This record gives sequence, C-alpha cells and structure tokens, in this order.
Amino acid sequence: MVAREGFGYLGQALSAAEIFAALYLDALTPDDDLVVSPGHYAIVHYAAGVEIGRIDPAELVTYGVDGSRLESIGTEGTPGLTATCGSLGQGLSVAAGLALGARLNGSAKRVYAVVSDGEMEEGQTWEAALFSAHHGLGNLVVLLDRNDSQVDGPTHQVTTLEPVTDKWTAFGWDVHAVDGHDIGGLRAALGAAQRSARPSVVVAETWTLSGLDHLLPDEADGHFLKVTPEQIEAARAHLTEAERDARTVAPAPWTSRKGERA
Amino acid sequence: MTTVKALRAPYTTVLKPYGSALVALARQKPNVVCLGADLTRQTETDLFRDQLGERFFNGAMSEQNLMGVAAGLARAGHQVFVNTFGVFATRRPYEQIAMQIAYPALDVKIVGLMPGLSTPGGPSHQATDDIALMRALPNMTVVDVADAREIPQAVTAISEIPGPVYLRLKRGEIPVLFDEDHRLDLDNVVVVDGETAPDEPVDLTIFATGMMVATALAAADALRGIGISVDVVNVACLKPLDTAGVLREVRRSKAVVTAENHSVIGGLGSAVAEVIAEAGLAVPFRRVGIQDTFARAASARYLFEHYGLGSQHLVDTAAALCGRSAPFPKVAEVRHEVGAYSPV
Repeated sequence: MVAREGFGYLGQALSAAEIFAALYLDALTPDDDLVVSPGHYAIVHYAAGVEIGRIDPAELVTYGVDGSRLESIGTEGTPGLTATCGSLGQGLSVAAGLALGARLNGSAKRVYAVVSDGEMEEGQTWEAALFSAHHGLGNLVVLLDRNDSQVDGPTHQVTTLEPVTDKWTAFGWDVHAVDGHDIGGLRAALGAAQRSARPSVVVAETWTLSGLDHLLPDEADGHFLKVTPEQIEAARAHLTEAERDARTVAPAPWTSRKGERA
Repeated sequence: MTTVKALRAPYTTVLKPYGSALVALARQKPNVVCLGADLTRQTETDLFRDQLGERFFNGAMSEQNLMGVAAGLARAGHQVFVNTFGVFATRRPYEQIAMQIAYPALDVKIVGLMPGLSTPGGPSHQATDDIALMRALPNMTVVDVADAREIPQAVTAISEIPGPVYLRLKRGEIPVLFDEDHRLDLDNVVVVDGETAPDEPVDLTIFATGMMVATALAAADALRGIGISVDVVNVACLKPLDTAGVLREVRRSKAVVTAENHSVIGGLGSAVAEVIAEAGLAVPFRRVGIQDTFARAASARYLFEHYGLGSQHLVDTAAALCGRSAPFPKVAEVRHEVGAYSPV
C-alpha cells in the first residue's frame, strides 16, 4: 500500500500488525463493533482485512488513491469500521456509547476499540475512561498500541505518559500488559479481557519499525514513514522469506465464524 | 400561510414544559435515551431520571465524551437527547459534535438551555454564539422556540427528524405567548402578529426567534402607535431556513429588522441577510442582537437593556430605519412580579 506513493502510515501498521491479527483471528466476530480511534491505522485494518476475507487483496493498491474506498485515514465509510475517527481522542467515547447501547438492547455483542498511546494526551480519553468504568461497561475492550510514537517524535520526549498501566488501573479498568508483537501474549490478554466484568485495556508494547528495523532508519518518523523503492523491494523480499518460515494461519472469514461464540 | 394572533404581556408562565414533554415522548418511544452532564434539575431532566431511570445516564462534567457516547448510542439504535446548558453543549464539544454526530447525521438531539443573555452567569455561561456554531455544521437542524406552547410540540417534532438537531431552550419560567390552538411550524416562518393581509405591503417586518418574539410583540405595539404597520414573524427553525417564506415577507416589506438573543454574527440576522443578498433584493435592514461582544454577569433584564436586546432598543432601531426621527415612542411598561417572566 505504501509502495505506490513511497509513503504512508507504515509505522502504525508495523506496530499494530500483531494486535490486529490477534483481534481479527481470535476475538472479533461479525456481530461485534470495532472502533479504530486513530483513523490512520486504517492501513493495518486493510491488510488484516484481507486475511479475514473482508477486503479483496487486489483492492489494496487503491489505498489512498482518489476515489478509493480505502481512505488513508479511515471513516465510517471504510468497510468494517464503525465510526469516523482520526481526530485523536474521540473513538473511545463512541465505543463506550456503543457498549452502553448494546447493553440497553440486551445484546451480547462486544465493542473493541483500538486506541493509540498518544491519545492518552487528549483529555477526552480520560473522560471516556471514567464513564466506562462508572457504568461498568464489561463488554468494552480497548487495545492500546503503546508504540511510543507521535508526530513530533518519541512520545516520552513529548510528554510523560508513564505509568501507563497504573493510570488505567486507577481509573477502574481491568489492565493486561503484554508484548504487542507476541501473538500468544495478545491472544491470552484478549481472552482475559473478554471474561472481565469491567472495561478492559490490553496495553501492548510495540515498535513502529517492528519486523523491518534492519531496513528502515532508526530516526524514521514513525507517524508518516517515507520509504524508497529499494527499501520497498528489500522489505518485500524479507517479508516473503519470513512468511515462508512462519506458522501459517488459515484464513477465517467472518461469515464462517458467525455464531462461534456461545 | 396562517397568521396567528399572539397574546400580550403580562404572560402566564409554565414550569418544566420541556422535561415533561421529554418524559411523554420517551413513554411513547422505547428507544429514547436521556443523557445529562451534571445539570439534571437545571435541564428539567430530573423528571426523566425519576420516572425512566433505566434510560437516563449522567455523563458527568465531560461534554466531549458525552457527545461521543451519544453517537455510539445512536449507532446502536437509540434516539439520544443530550441535555446541558447551551454554552457547554456547543463550544467545548464542537469538534466531537462535528465528527461524531453531524458528519454521520445521527439521531442525536442536543438540547441547550439558557440561551444568550438569559443568565446572569456572565461570559462563561451565556450561549451567545451557539446558533452560529450549530448552523455551520452540515446535517444539523437548528431550532429556537418562542413559548411554552411550542416546547412540547418541538420535542415531538424534532423526534420525527431523523438526523441531528440543536434545540435551544429558555430555562426556568417559560411564558405562554400563544393560545391553545397554536401549532409550531418548523417548515415555515410564520407571521404571528400583523394587521396586513398576506399579499399587502407592510412598512416593517420583524423576523424574531426564541425569547425575542415576546420582545418584538411589545415593540410592534409601540411602532403601530406612530402609524407604522408591522408584521412580527416567528422563525422557529433557523436551519434549514424557510428561504421562500423569508423572501415572501421581505418582498412586501419596506424595511426589515431581525431580532435575536444571540450574536448578530452567524445567527438569525446573518441567515436572513444571506437570503436577501442572494435574491438580489435591496431593503433597509438592521440586525438587533448582541453586537459582537461578550457580556457581563448581571440580571437578564439589565443585560437585555444594556446590550440592545430590549424592546425599546428594537423600537428605536426600527423607527429610525423607517425614516422616523426621535423622540421614538415608548414601549409600554408591563407590571410583573419579581422573578416572573416579562419581555424586556
């Protein structure tokens, strides 16, 4: 997707690839709602969407192209996304409303929200955290991408967010801290989050160069990566090789998994 | 078009017509949900909380979150009424309303009480630009009602609108300006006080909205006393504006004044001026309202007079616009009990 123009929200895809893989393959059902609060993460949603039969792989080349439905910053027009986000800090509130609405409807659905660590700088995130805990929204699960990256550089240089897990705990949330590139850890955390009676947050420690760190420069702008054609080709070769060695997970379209959760 | 004959001050008043109407609506529509922001009694939603508590949620003092929660609830199939003071309902969560409610055109009704200079709370509490802000949002309907007859009808009417609505409401004692047969009209601007036939020329048309309808009625009587024929037009729905109706009234008027309890920038005055200008009409025109300033903390009566929203100021402005010279006629004083409603 970034090859055509040589830039895009690649860092977000690299930090969150395993988060989306675990979410889509293990947790999310067609009945559930998904809010991706940093709309920039649409890129990884598209890539992962191919694996669950939600998006045609041939469509990926239209990412960010004028008139394409695969917009670079996702909206509710994006297949599979529930709200229009991208102005950071707003998604969790919508997810809380969806979770409350589902409870009022007597629905067993869950609401998943992908939230970036930079969004903890927005006061609204903490308004939503208070609201969700107070109203006992156990059907709400947040996947927090703790990639320590924002537009102006590493998040810890911009402001101090630590202690992240203590903050969410103090706000009344069920907190699960994991290595965000460890699929097994993510799956276990998601499972625990689903069983919680309180709103849950999976704090996933990640890296915006994960998997391609030997190809991309350390000082790369994690928010909006620029890549050369040579880097693209090297990355393709590297990922093809990695995929050959990787444990293969069979595609599992949502439609075939509908009703799987008892 | 029908001409309604409006009543004259002193007006009887009604308490909590909005809160009662919302409960009645929710009893009819099981999907109605009521949200608040730590102003439950002040927004008359204590009635809802006490009678339909399972559908009432206090979102605390966090309006940005509340608008997002409202959007989520609406996406889950609920009709959501968000209640707080107008200033807090519009300025602080503006971006949240834009992105989460207006852009997807969700079924969320934002009810902002305490409009303009009706509160002694000063600039922090006075919603003086809420109409301008909400008018600028695509998909948003903007309603400001004149009296206690219109409020329950407005609740029903906006519930029938599928998309987002901003409803601006006076708080506290609500005057009864119209008789029992009065019907709120969100589709048309309506002459509520006039002596000319609908197709006859008139010296002056006053387009008024919300609390300024009562002010305009008092001013109209004084102006008629010096031989100026006046139509008072109630504009209950500021967006979408009944453009054809505005033009119909402007075309037969020798002068036009707008009257709003709001900044003259972006509100009724701007909306009517846009219609006049785009139609290529030239008519003597003035906007009565808050003249691009913040206001102080003082009584509503003081503020209305001090910032030029009083009926005497309306008379002076209109008489001069109609070519009359001072001294202008005095608006009749209306006896009222302390704390009771009266037009200023």
